[in-house]
Amino acid sequence: MQAEQSLPTQAVPAEKGTFQRTLRSAAWLGWQIESNWTDPLTFLVYSVIKPLATASILVVMYSVITGSDFSNPVFPYIYLGNAFYIYVAAVLNGVSWCVIEDREQYRMLKYIYIAPVYIPVYLLGRGFAKFVFGSLAVFITVTFGVLFLKVPLDLAQVDWPLFIVSLALGILMLAMMGLTLGSIILVIVNNVYFVGEAVAGALFLFSGAIFPLDVLPAWLRPIGYAIPITYWLELVRRSLIGSVAESFQTLAGFSNLQLIGILLGLTIAFALIAFTVFRYCDHLAREKGYIDRVTNF
Amino acid sequence: MELAIQTENLGRVYKVRATKKEKAKELIALKDVNLEVKRGELFGLLGPNGAGKTTLIKILTTLLAPSSGFAKVAGFDVAKDPEKVRPRINMVSGGESSGYGLLTVRENLWMFAQFYGIPSKVANQRIHDLLKIVHLDDRANTKSSDLSTGLRQKMNIVRGFLTDPDVLFLDEPTLGLDVEASRDVRKFVQSWIVENPLRTLLLTTHYMVEADELCDRVAIINAGRVLACDTPANLKHQLQRDVIYRMEVSPLNGVGPETFEQLRGVNKALHEAKDGYSILELILAEDDALGTVVNTLTNKDIHILNLQKREPTLEDVFVTLVGKSMMEVESGSEG
Amino acid sequence: MVLRARVHKNTGWRLFLQTIIGRAYPRVIGLLREKSWFFFDVFLPVISVSAYVFIYRAINAPDIYIGFVVMGGAMTAFWLNILWSMASQMYWEKETGNLALYIMAPNSLMAILLGMALGGLFATSQRALVITLAGIFLFDVQIQISNYFLLFAVFMLTMVALYGLGMMTSSLFLLLNREAWHFSNLAQEPVYLASGFYFPIKSFNFWIAAGASVIPLTLGLDAMRQLSFPGGPALGFVDVNIEVAVLAVLSVVFVLGARWLLGYMERLAIREGRLTDSRK
Repeated sequence: MQAEQSLPTQAVPAEKGTFQRTLRSAAWLGWQIESNWTDPLTFLVYSVIKPLATASILVVMYSVITGSDFSNPVFPYIYLGNAFYIYVAAVLNGVSWCVIEDREQYRMLKYIYIAPVYIPVYLLGRGFAKFVFGSLAVFITVTFGVLFLKVPLDLAQVDWPLFIVSLALGILMLAMMGLTLGSIILVIVNNVYFVGEAVAGALFLFSGAIFPLDVLPAWLRPIGYAIPITYWLELVRRSLIGSVAESFQTLAGFSNLQLIGILLGLTIAFALIAFTVFRYCDHLAREKGYIDRVTNF
Repeated sequence: MELAIQTENLGRVYKVRATKKEKAKELIALKDVNLEVKRGELFGLLGPNGAGKTTLIKILTTLLAPSSGFAKVAGFDVAKDPEKVRPRINMVSGGESSGYGLLTVRENLWMFAQFYGIPSKVANQRIHDLLKIVHLDDRANTKSSDLSTGLRQKMNIVRGFLTDPDVLFLDEPTLGLDVEASRDVRKFVQSWIVENPLRTLLLTTHYMVEADELCDRVAIINAGRVLACDTPANLKHQLQRDVIYRMEVSPLNGVGPETFEQLRGVNKALHEAKDGYSILELILAEDDALGTVVNTLTNKDIHILNLQKREPTLEDVFVTLVGKSMMEVESGSEG
Repeated sequence: MVLRARVHKNTGWRLFLQTIIGRAYPRVIGLLREKSWFFFDVFLPVISVSAYVFIYRAINAPDIYIGFVVMGGAMTAFWLNILWSMASQMYWEKETGNLALYIMAPNSLMAILLGMALGGLFATSQRALVITLAGIFLFDVQIQISNYFLLFAVFMLTMVALYGLGMMTSSLFLLLNREAWHFSNLAQEPVYLASGFYFPIKSFNFWIAAGASVIPLTLGLDAMRQLSFPGGPALGFVDVNIEVAVLAVLSVVFVLGARWLLGYMERLAIREGRLTDSRK
């Protein structure tokens, strides 16, 4: 028995712009999830230790063999490539991981699906927080390298327009790759937890992040040339430390504009692939009832 | 007679961490709970959401330590000797999502049987027999992630009975089940208790009908305290001296239940607005009080559409003890 | 009849063994029913380990370092198994409600964890084996085992100590919620660094290397490298026999420590009500 209550009779006005609404809501949600799992001090420690530990592995490997010859251009090549590669894992994982999170852990994916949102845009929005924290990790890693490891990065010499354009295009490209991966995860219900990391780890070999593509056997190099990450990292190196990039001949034959053109073209190609793969996987996932499949695995 | 469950001044306080918006605080989930459940009883714990039923179950199943007092299950202290309690108990919760979706019903059940040391041959036979009883045998080889909520709950219920516990805890076992499935579960529970009088079952529910139908005795709990504990018949009998009327009247137009509670002989009045009419339930000290109520309705130009005298239910007992219906308590606690 | 029958239940070591088998079962079945794990858990990691091989080639490192990378890469499989299939798995089990059922059952939490680890060991071993074979055949890593028995002993001791450490870590995760995933994530690379997964631990200052030796993989890897590669002893941290002795001590300490810590953490979690809370 309850007191009389009147239901609201006024219709809720529909907000215009589903794209913006979806992106904004998803980004906010992703931020809430990523930003409040611990206290600020623990978070700071985590943010510093993790990227520096990853970078330190390579630093130690390099030091052991070359006797800590940090002035050799090979070192900043490796160091910067590894630093910016943090974005690859962050964005790839960030966009694809939320499928697993929402489906298995929070069991919310089905509710997102039946809401009037664009799912691909939702996934991209969810990856935003990981991009932000990835940026923090990149910044810490690069700063550490400049301060303590003689990475010859002079802010006055940086080609900022090139850097900004490269970074923006690169993040978009990674987001499209992440969306492709996330779509595939929709139709895998088990063993999916490390898919993002595993793919990022594999791309590490082919992207020229930590060694020039020329080091690879000739038959493997075409894979590197087909991956947009290769061109992106080259552009980043050229914009930040042009002299280091010039020391390596792998992509020396391409001008900055040509590289941007290739990166743009590949990004568009990956965007088309991403949305095509998503449509297919989305259809398959609905057919097989995977949207709300919980394995507890 | 040996006690299956015994609690004495049992209490549990939760410390809630401070957040950006709220300070740290303490939540009293249970206070001075004294219960004695005999072996062989089907004992009910009845109360609204947030009353403390699940907290009590968690303490009795060794998942949560009491803040004060003590509890014994199957003769052993749950806090001091949990390892002696565990071989003798099992628990099934409503809305459970335990097990692994990739495993079939049979495999999930077999796995849990292993955790209790039941030999595989024995476990497989019991699984076969129990699935048949709950009409789930045709889905034995279905992956549990492919089951509906109701069928999954049936699997969970089988899991509870599979290990042949001395004391079984069912925490809202029919939550989310349809009418037929709920009926099957209740029938099964009754059969289990009847077949072996040495086993004990503690059932928590907020469905009055369920408690009334199944339980030998019922404890009514609200806000962490046990308000009454007796057989359903005795609890209702306490209200026999009261008279309960159910009236359908024209809309009350702002006349609240307190208007009627002020009248002599009216112990409690509850009302519910419907489409075009209202329902008024009255607990009266005597039949004569009805006349006063009717006069009041007439004076306020409210017409009586239907009038029924009825027997007290556990809901009425709850209302008498708490002062509100269970629904009002739940909606009040939800804010 | 079934409702009336009383059931005999095993106890002691039989229950322990049954629990291990029971908990390992879903892991193994999961691998058999969803075969994509081979691609994501085995094939792709081979490629990412290869990246480290090519770094050494890019800086003209001696061939023995390629062998070190391959062996280290293979052993990462076991560390990841500890982190993700044991430690943080406790958080996952809590979220799904299985943890409460495990605790409530008369089995041992150690047995549950062992079951998880052994169940995941199938995939882990495949990963380690494929990486090792890929290293030998693709990168022409030269293996020269000086003492098979000692190598086997080192490997087994490392595993016992490592899984004991894994159980100790899992007990801490009984108290954690969402931060569990992040802490496991945090423990990945620093251990790769400290334990010398991709370079000889001798590269560090003695005391840093000694401190890192508390992680069983540090000395385990170092000893296995000394025993498996020509020229391995020259890059070893300390003598293999000392490392075997330390690993033996670590095995005992971690296994006993795990038993104690699991019991302590379980009681703490029950006292604080953390076993069933879900702070997503």
